[in-house]
Amino acid sequence: MDALRDFTAELDTDIHSDDPGGDRDFPLMPVGQAVDMGQAPDGTPLLDPRVLHSREFFRNPYPYYRIMRDHYPCFHDKLHNTYYVTRYEDVWRCYFDDEGFNTIPKGSSSGVLGNTQLELSGVEHRRRRNLYGQHLVGRSLDLRVPSIQRLARQMIDDWDDMLDSGYVFDDGRKRIVELGMAFANEFPVRVVCEVLGFPNEARKQFFYWYNSMMSGLGGSALQKQGLEARQSLEDYVQEIVEERRRKPSYLKDEDGNVIGKDIITKLCETRVDGDYLSTEEITSNIALVVAAGGETTRGAIVNMWYLLLQHPEQFAAVCADTENWNRAFHETLRNSSPIGGQPRHNSHDLEMHGVHVPAGSLMQMVDFSANHDDRVFKDPEKFDIFRPDLYSGKLLRSGYSKEGRCSHMAFGVGPHLCPGAWISHQEAVEGSRILQQRLKNVRIVEDRMAKDIDGKSLAPIGIVRVPALWLEFDRP
Amino acid sequence: MSEAENLVVGANGVAVPHFEHSGEGYRSYEVHQRERVGQSTEKINGAQLASADYAANPYPYLQILRENYPCYRDWINNCYWVTGYDDVTSIFTDEANFETRPKLWYYGLQGFGRDLRNEMPVLWAWSKAMDGFAVPVAEQLIAGFGKGEADLARDFAVQYPIVLLGRMLEIPDDELGTFAVRYWRAQRGVLWYPQAQLAGRQALDELVRYFTPKLAAASDQETSVLAAVAAVGGSAADLVTTLLEADHQTLHGALANLWMNLLIEPVNFDHVKQDHMAMKIAYLETLRHSPPVITAERFARHEVERFGRLIPEGGLMRISALAANRDPRIFADGDRFDVDRRDICHREARGQYRADGLPQGIAFGLGRPSRHPAVPEDRPRSLYALTRDTAVAASWTLAQMLPDLRLRDGTTPVARCLRIGETYACWELPVRF
Repeated sequence: MDALRDFTAELDTDIHSDDPGGDRDFPLMPVGQAVDMGQAPDGTPLLDPRVLHSREFFRNPYPYYRIMRDHYPCFHDKLHNTYYVTRYEDVWRCYFDDEGFNTIPKGSSSGVLGNTQLELSGVEHRRRRNLYGQHLVGRSLDLRVPSIQRLARQMIDDWDDMLDSGYVFDDGRKRIVELGMAFANEFPVRVVCEVLGFPNEARKQFFYWYNSMMSGLGGSALQKQGLEARQSLEDYVQEIVEERRRKPSYLKDEDGNVIGKDIITKLCETRVDGDYLSTEEITSNIALVVAAGGETTRGAIVNMWYLLLQHPEQFAAVCADTENWNRAFHETLRNSSPIGGQPRHNSHDLEMHGVHVPAGSLMQMVDFSANHDDRVFKDPEKFDIFRPDLYSGKLLRSGYSKEGRCSHMAFGVGPHLCPGAWISHQEAVEGSRILQQRLKNVRIVEDRMAKDIDGKSLAPIGIVRVPALWLEFDRP
Repeated sequence: MSEAENLVVGANGVAVPHFEHSGEGYRSYEVHQRERVGQSTEKINGAQLASADYAANPYPYLQILRENYPCYRDWINNCYWVTGYDDVTSIFTDEANFETRPKLWYYGLQGFGRDLRNEMPVLWAWSKAMDGFAVPVAEQLIAGFGKGEADLARDFAVQYPIVLLGRMLEIPDDELGTFAVRYWRAQRGVLWYPQAQLAGRQALDELVRYFTPKLAAASDQETSVLAAVAAVGGSAADLVTTLLEADHQTLHGALANLWMNLLIEPVNFDHVKQDHMAMKIAYLETLRHSPPVITAERFARHEVERFGRLIPEGGLMRISALAANRDPRIFADGDRFDVDRRDICHREARGQYRADGLPQGIAFGLGRPSRHPAVPEDRPRSLYALTRDTAVAASWTLAQMLPDLRLRDGTTPVARCLRIGETYACWELPVRF
């Protein structure tokens, strides 16, 4: 019908469109620059939710988060049925509102890891969290520092035996190592094993379980392997738990003196609301400690070295004063955190920045974005361990926001602040101090590194891990 | 949301938010069980369910879900997929536990207007107008086909519902094109595509501006939909809201897919053009075999355990008509389009999805089967029946006017979605006659 010519012409455009609305190849952009996804008449940039699972986004996420922060501070992604909260202040407030933004499990980890304290709220959460958390802070943590240092030294010493591994090379004058495979991937898992009181023989198996469970998160093709690993871990831990119930096990210091019962023994003896913890509950939380204590600390160590070695003057500063490793650690987590954020679900209907959010919606608190919010951190994409607006002092569950300095959001804040934050800090800083002592004249082997789209500069970290970090240093 | 001032420092020195609360909103994780090895869902992942391949041909993916994961937890798209026939119909009829959200909600426009489809005068006028224009509009479109050939998808299925609505709403021919573009954009803006959202939002406002003077000048004829809207105190925004909720894409998709199915195997067309009842059955079989809306969304009103899973409050259920309608437990040889199918009910089921002991094809866009009698005295036929009768009347007219219709040589029409979540329809159907 002639009267419908305009209508059918518009239809034809869609029918023959190059963009059928499915997965789209977004072009890879220079870092810091977003793909043009169109604009509203008032100039507001549009945001295509498909970009959020594109390769471009994983390597170059920050310009897209900037669009969200500036124009859609509560972005309703109808494709993925998710609301994104991206401003520092909003994320902060939601994290503290444990009842309004609950943790009922819709996160992709719970299927594999099991029921953990991540999914608890309020009193239930506080009671259980303290059972685990008390072993990872304060004097308990101080007592563990020597063993963290010992493990780091052992791993570096082992490099002499890894010359056939493909991750350590030696030409007689220089040594080349891939920091991830040779150190950072396994170091945190070894520490976790030690803290949990598992025997040395279990380490390799633990590393496999850890890798499989992490790969199986999110309903991926490897989910079955993840579930099998989780079951295998449970079978193993169950035996240990039953054994610890009968016979307590003790932690000892470097001199062989008993410094206390190990965590599993303490968990076995603990009562909550009059009941002993079930083996299932202990296992789930061990699975969480294994999973959460691995990738995050691995990311922190590798990202920190990757960023520092690209800023030689800052690396020189930490070498000159090893206290600066603390600053480097916090700035790394602010600039390139290994964890993107936490899911929350609003318990009640609410309106945020003009967007109505029905109760029970998935609201993704984006730590990545909060850490790059220029309402809080000036020039946020810049890596600067001496930035005056970042709080680098002792980690506080209450967060820090005073006199123009704020804590980063990489560990979250409030009741669910990562209970492993303090031990992760110690692992990354102590491990790095020892690496720094042993790696003389260290530099990145650029020829072996992944490159950015220009084929020359090093690939950005984005929100993915640095796949491999090749370092060269003087042969010891 | 708490204010920073609400923070208090607990006994262990940790700052915690202070709330006065009754304890509601808390759930122990003990009811949320992790998946076991045998429950692994590695045969599919959520990204595949939001891919171009899925939009082009969703059925293979839905079949994997139906045959392996009756209630699939999709972590990528944050929803639960339900694909078995009995499961799908159980959710669709369970208004106590699952709610539909109006299309205005997707726009974030609560309060924009009200849906008048429960207003009896509007329903009466709607049904009378639709019945009255069904055949003349079909005749008009067919008369406008090119000599000896046409594209039935573009020249008939797409245009028929729009022209029919135009007649029902007294829109002059020279304004019909503008109305159609705005209406089409308004419907597409409901979904996730940002440009479409923007265009749709603008189209809604334009439609309101367009209908405002028309409503003010509405005649007082009994069959006038505009007059009925005015009579119940409806505004232009109410009319636009009603049009948005009603949408035209279901009738469009049903016509396009019906004719695609009829012409792919000419024996089917030969059969239905002889028998008006066979045309109706072919229409029902099309809704079963190729429903134009392949998934509908329902949200859990509260935490509820279904299909062995605990669905949290607000959880999104994606329930698939396409998968359910080809469930081999319900329909034998479900992938085959069969105008003589014996295991499907041939009359409109009442309230549930079965009649005469036989299941009915599910077509979400047409709503749940009405609870009212088939020929009610105090209200018009259900929208389901009205749409069915209109589609059958239009198709019957086409079959009688062009009895030698056949596909253009070398063409193999297919149904697909233009974008994820949109109408599953045949968009190109070149024919000769």
